[in-house]
Amino acid sequence: MSASVLVPGVVSPVVVSLFVPAIFTGLIVGIIGLMAIAYQKNDLNALILTDIVGVGMLILVAAVGTDLAEAIILPGLVVELAEILAISEILMSREMKKKGKNAELIPLPLSMDMEIMTTAPTFLALILIVHGAFLSGFTGGAVAGGGILFYVLSKRMRGVPANTWEGIAGVSGIAWCLWLVGFLVFFVFPQYWLLALFLAAFGIFIKVAFKAGLIGVIGREEFSKK
Amino acid sequence: MDITILGQQLLGYIPLGDIVLYLAPLNLFMFASTLAFTTIIAISKTETQVEAGFGTLKDREVKVDKSEFKIRRFLAIVCGLATAGAMITGDLFNFTLFVCLIGIVNIGIVAAVKQVDVLDAAFQYGLVAMIATLPLFGGAAMILASTGTISLLEIVDLPTTFMMVFGSLLLFIGVAGETGVAPFYATKAEMFRTPGSPFLLIIHLSSLLVIVRVIEILLIINKPF
Amino acid sequence: MSRIGRLWNSLATPKRIPRFYSVILGVLLLVGFIVPLALNDQQLYPRPEPQLQVNQQDPFAPYDRGGVPLKEPGIIKSQYPHFSEKAGMVTSYVSPIGIGVSKTTLYYGTSIYSSPGGLIDEILYYSRGFDTVLESSILMMAFVVASWVALHFTMKRREEE
Repeated sequence: MSASVLVPGVVSPVVVSLFVPAIFTGLIVGIIGLMAIAYQKNDLNALILTDIVGVGMLILVAAVGTDLAEAIILPGLVVELAEILAISEILMSREMKKKGKNAELIPLPLSMDMEIMTTAPTFLALILIVHGAFLSGFTGGAVAGGGILFYVLSKRMRGVPANTWEGIAGVSGIAWCLWLVGFLVFFVFPQYWLLALFLAAFGIFIKVAFKAGLIGVIGREEFSKK
Repeated sequence: MDITILGQQLLGYIPLGDIVLYLAPLNLFMFASTLAFTTIIAISKTETQVEAGFGTLKDREVKVDKSEFKIRRFLAIVCGLATAGAMITGDLFNFTLFVCLIGIVNIGIVAAVKQVDVLDAAFQYGLVAMIATLPLFGGAAMILASTGTISLLEIVDLPTTFMMVFGSLLLFIGVAGETGVAPFYATKAEMFRTPGSPFLLIIHLSSLLVIVRVIEILLIINKPF
Repeated sequence: MSRIGRLWNSLATPKRIPRFYSVILGVLLLVGFIVPLALNDQQLYPRPEPQLQVNQQDPFAPYDRGGVPLKEPGIIKSQYPHFSEKAGMVTSYVSPIGIGVSKTTLYYGTSIYSSPGGLIDEILYYSRGFDTVLESSILMMAFVVASWVALHFTMKRREEE
């Protein structure tokens, strides 16, 4: 059964009346985060608190309440995640230089000796990757990447050298180019929009999947060091 | 589309769906000069710093090793391209994303050094850049909510409201944080002490040009004249 | 005079900059409470009232924008329709597996994000595709920086080889 209203002419009055409360919520969340950053003394705390500020930003964007706002939340979220990834790595390397000590990349308090890690990884990883391929896009990439991550974490053979790492990262770069081609096809040859859609969806799928997989490779390196 | 922006006749535009890159004389000039500078950087080599040793007559050379050189050159080229893109984009949200790209690449260019002080400065700069995403995207969202569009070519014809002024103020303080201009320059000044000169210059150039561009955008939104 | 000097000096300490910046930004956000705020109801890509499509038992709710896959474009209200020739085709497209799933459940719309086609793909890949290009470039750059730092400093793999 299809709906009576597909696209309204104007934004519905419910959303309009919710706008001011939503903006106020966003501002209050932002101010709480900022005040906390202004008061604290620890660098790690500051890094974590910036995430609260990021949540405030997401609320401000979401308050608009259109499909466009929904689509532009995603870049905002990804920018936050990307920056926290890079900056936390810098913080770790700085602390190591200061103290002259080495630390594990992924410090796990529990030992990863579970039976499921030796019996099931291939099966579970396969299911996750196939399901990810069906989903495609960002979500699919994350699911399939989870599968690869699980697989490499559970197979504890001697790790790959850094050159192999660069090789896998290169595949991710090629997927990025594929995806750029898909984006250009949309505008240069609009009649092949279906091809472009699939190039974009699967380019981004491969890219995200390999990123998550690479994190798994680092993690395995750390385990096999012991 | 036959329109003028800030008294400049548009020379042309590149439509990419809703995002339209527009070519006005000022933007085109800044675009071309960024690309020229990026090319110079791409073909140049790093300098070698000489540190005088205390108590001896020997000097110590601070060199950049090859892998460090490669990653820095790569990030510097990306930074140049992102700056060039930010000069001609005609979409507010697209502009904020370009600024974020410049910010993260700037952090990366200095993250490869070994001095603890410089790493500390890079970390603090990264924190400011992360906080700055709130005013950047929040400001763009305010302007979207108030006008119903984020295309600069449409905003130029709309009357200014208080909400748009507030949004553009947020946008400005976001760009100020992300590019590290005064009074938030201390984190960046520290970053310049690292060896590897021509690549560091792109950080300067990008923040300079982005500030010029954001002032143009503020004029488009607020229409003071 | 010495006070101003002290202020300048305190600004020269990198550690103080994030705090200083957050105080200034916090003050600016407080201004937001006194600015008259209102949502303009003439927005691009508007969506129906919340829960309306869900209550009408539409399997594609809340992302049903009409159209027939591969034949008729869906309805979208983009900024420059004349710049995207095939606008709406991606909105209406659903993969064959997607059609199969949507016949068995009323909640396929909640997972429309994660299949090729649909409204969000139209905006993210087509009409605002350049934003997504930049967004994933940002992710890639962050990953390049993080993995470079991890490989060279944090894990010290290069030195060991």
